[in-house]
Amino acid sequence: MEHQIRCTVNGVERSLLVSSDETLLKMLTRQLGLCGAREVCGMGVCGACTVLVDRVPISSCTYLAPFVDGSTIVTIEGLALGRTLHPLQEAFNTFGASQCGYCTPGMILSAKALLDANPKPSEADVKRALAGNLCRCTGYHRIMKAVLSVVDGGK
Amino acid sequence: MAQIGQSILQLDGRDKVTGTTAYTVHLELPGMAYGKILRSPYPHARILRLDASRAERTPGVLGVLTAADLSDWQNPYFGPVIRDQPIVAIDKVHFLGDPVAVVAAETPEIAAEALDLIEVEYKEMSAVFDAQEAMREKAPVIHERIMRSTALFDPAHVPLAGGQNVCGHFRLRKGDLSLAFQQADEIFEHVYTIPPTQHCAFEPHAVLARWVGDRVEVWSSTQNPAVVRAELAELFSLPAGNIRVVAPPLGSGFGSKLFLKLEPLAVALASKVGRPVKIVLEREEVFLTLTEPGTWVRIKTAVSREGVLLGREMEIILDTGAYADITPRLARGIGLVGAGPYRIPNLSIDVYAVYTNKAPAGALRGVIGRQACWAYEQEMDQIAQRLGMDAIELRLKNLLHDGDEMHAGETLQGFALQQCLERVRKALDWNSSTVTTDTGGQKVRAKGVACFVKHTMTPAQSFARLTLEEDGSLAVHVSSVEMGQGAATALPQMAAEAMGLPVERVSVYFGDTASAPYDQGTNSSRTIFHMGRAIVDGCGQLRAELLAHAARLLEASQEDLEISDGRVAVKGTHERSLGFAEILGRTFGFGGSLSASGMSKSEAYLDRETGRGKGSTYYFTGAGGCEVEVDLETGAVRVLRYVAANNVGRAINPMLCAAQIEGSAAAGISQTLFEEMRWEDGQLLNPNLVDYRLITICEAPPVEAIVVEVPHGEGPFGAMGAGEPAIVPTSAAIGNAVARALNVRLFSLPLTPDKVLAGLLHADEPEPGPGTAGTPA
Repeated sequence: MEHQIRCTVNGVERSLLVSSDETLLKMLTRQLGLCGAREVCGMGVCGACTVLVDRVPISSCTYLAPFVDGSTIVTIEGLALGRTLHPLQEAFNTFGASQCGYCTPGMILSAKALLDANPKPSEADVKRALAGNLCRCTGYHRIMKAVLSVVDGGK
Repeated sequence: MAQIGQSILQLDGRDKVTGTTAYTVHLELPGMAYGKILRSPYPHARILRLDASRAERTPGVLGVLTAADLSDWQNPYFGPVIRDQPIVAIDKVHFLGDPVAVVAAETPEIAAEALDLIEVEYKEMSAVFDAQEAMREKAPVIHERIMRSTALFDPAHVPLAGGQNVCGHFRLRKGDLSLAFQQADEIFEHVYTIPPTQHCAFEPHAVLARWVGDRVEVWSSTQNPAVVRAELAELFSLPAGNIRVVAPPLGSGFGSKLFLKLEPLAVALASKVGRPVKIVLEREEVFLTLTEPGTWVRIKTAVSREGVLLGREMEIILDTGAYADITPRLARGIGLVGAGPYRIPNLSIDVYAVYTNKAPAGALRGVIGRQACWAYEQEMDQIAQRLGMDAIELRLKNLLHDGDEMHAGETLQGFALQQCLERVRKALDWNSSTVTTDTGGQKVRAKGVACFVKHTMTPAQSFARLTLEEDGSLAVHVSSVEMGQGAATALPQMAAEAMGLPVERVSVYFGDTASAPYDQGTNSSRTIFHMGRAIVDGCGQLRAELLAHAARLLEASQEDLEISDGRVAVKGTHERSLGFAEILGRTFGFGGSLSASGMSKSEAYLDRETGRGKGSTYYFTGAGGCEVEVDLETGAVRVLRYVAANNVGRAINPMLCAAQIEGSAAAGISQTLFEEMRWEDGQLLNPNLVDYRLITICEAPPVEAIVVEVPHGEGPFGAMGAGEPAIVPTSAAIGNAVARALNVRLFSLPLTPDKVLAGLLHADEPEPGPGTAGTPA
């Protein structure tokens, strides 16, 4: 079954036709060409497909597109302002917190959701917020340092 | 050295943090079809009948590739060492998951649904899943006939063997082992087992192929595009120049994306349906495409009362699964280093690569180094314990040093193991007697260390094509691949240094065989050393040409000229100088450029009987150490902190070196604590990231990376590499710490709570000897 939905993606209002079994990830990738969210596990446990739906980090590979009707979605493509990187993006780059880069967008978006809610997180807060974001390359050490370096939520 | 040793930020970092890196999975071509693979439901079976007609008639299906399409092929089998893997199954299937047919359709959904419409009738055959059983005389034969590949390796460097299901056998013999065992005061013998793990590169294998007339273009998530091209040329009987292989940046590889994987399927299917074909694997398929070999190690050591290693005998069995992939070469590699980084005058090592009816196995970061180290470094701790020596002192007494002879006979260069071990000892605040228990008596803390030596693929070649463009900037074309290891930053740094240009004036183009010459591949931590040397060589040629032209233009002798920052100047003068662009313009006229081809080549020679000669162009070394906490009630092992000291030769970019060491160590910690591919009757039970667990940010300890810089004489600027080695000692260092905490030794990985608890239960029983692999399950 097809559904007509309306949502805001990275500040742009969209009217989209989605099918009942279409995942949010597929909608973003195939309909909007947004490739920053990536399928790795396909089961909602690795966090590489994380996007923010109404400020909440969601695994878009297991979230159905019809559910985002009326929602505001932020993907990694919506973070930088022109050439100016979001402070988290800047920090990941500066600390070498990204290697192959495949998990990086999801990691940054989960961190953003944390910092938006808690501008001065502790190490334990960061661990809790990023527990669902796997990285095979870095060992997480630099990711932790990068997130903690962004004080006051990067605002 | 303006560029070397600078921790500049990753040149591709911006793409990665903005999510704009163009990986293979997202590439598209006009008219592209999608391929999906039908896989065998049996581990070993004859195919009696295959009927794809219903699938072919489905609307949206463009065609189905089956064995029938290969009937007039002379040799539709591929493999980097042995051509044992058919493009799709012919007559029989060799493992549960073996590709049987591939559907091309307008959408991936249609292709996936059409798979169910292909009718296949199988007759199950008896199968074998254990490598040692497979070596027995009455075991089922998995491949009736095998044929060597000639595309990649000089057969002299690929030790093949006959014997039941044995597809590789490497032997090393040195000294008089029986005499060593006669003279020994103590003899140690144990068996260690290590299950296969999976690379879990986050980007799945992906390929996009199209035919343009009689040429083929392939975009593939491969670590060695030039090698893939060579293999495709052999398989499809095409001139190499008719094939273009492009490797976009990889969402990591760790060895899982070497040699042909999906490329033959996509190329053959694209030919059949006359459209570009793209195949992207599901995660479960990634698990079935390549694994690490399951490994069994028997190690027997003769030791003097004073703690001097007199001799060592080892038998290593690598389970390569249904196809040999690169495992026969891994057998050779691990044979060179399996005895450990110690002076051992008498050696006998046999390494076997063995077929079983499981998913094919091949290289994984560290290439069996972690497995061998798990055995030889736990032996060192047991020797120290029985002789009443400190574990580090015993190691220092036996260590190999710079200038010593390695087991095969090479003279070690840039081998700073003692320095690495001392740095780990200091950072860990090592005190072998310190085992602490918390007040409740439930949690025990202890430390452990391990040393290692690791080879690199030899012989191997790297070539680079360089052009000094008309404006004096430099373009470098290599078939190396950027996969997170930092080549996209370190190679430009080396090129800038070698050419005398700022790094902003250098561009390195990666992974396109249409513009770049041959390279053995981005594997074996070889890119910095080999491609670095090729680039330095090419820059040297360009500099020589520039100097010749500049000498004429400046009316000076070449010896009086110097190059820096994009200019050639008469030494000590400012006014008598010319920019690179000016030299080119005045020599060739407007639009002139200079080109060069740089090369690096390593050679090897090993005696067939003794394995002695030259096997690796250089050896990596380092040490790892950690503190663990073991919960005696739950059996859980936590690594509290980890220290990794590695000699990188010269750090081209110290930050990226440290990042590689941290990440490699963390992957090893994950494998040690959690990772195991679990098989039952040929069925993989955990082909997903829920049941196959990776370390998370919650368990990952801080890794202190110690970048040791003792240069290698032949390395570019003294550099060697840093991608893999830190993974090698992780399991043994943790195993040694756990053994110290529990006073019980565990012989099989991973160190899961059930194994720890079982070990504690059997603590009072005599330690397992040879033949009783590992700990009680």
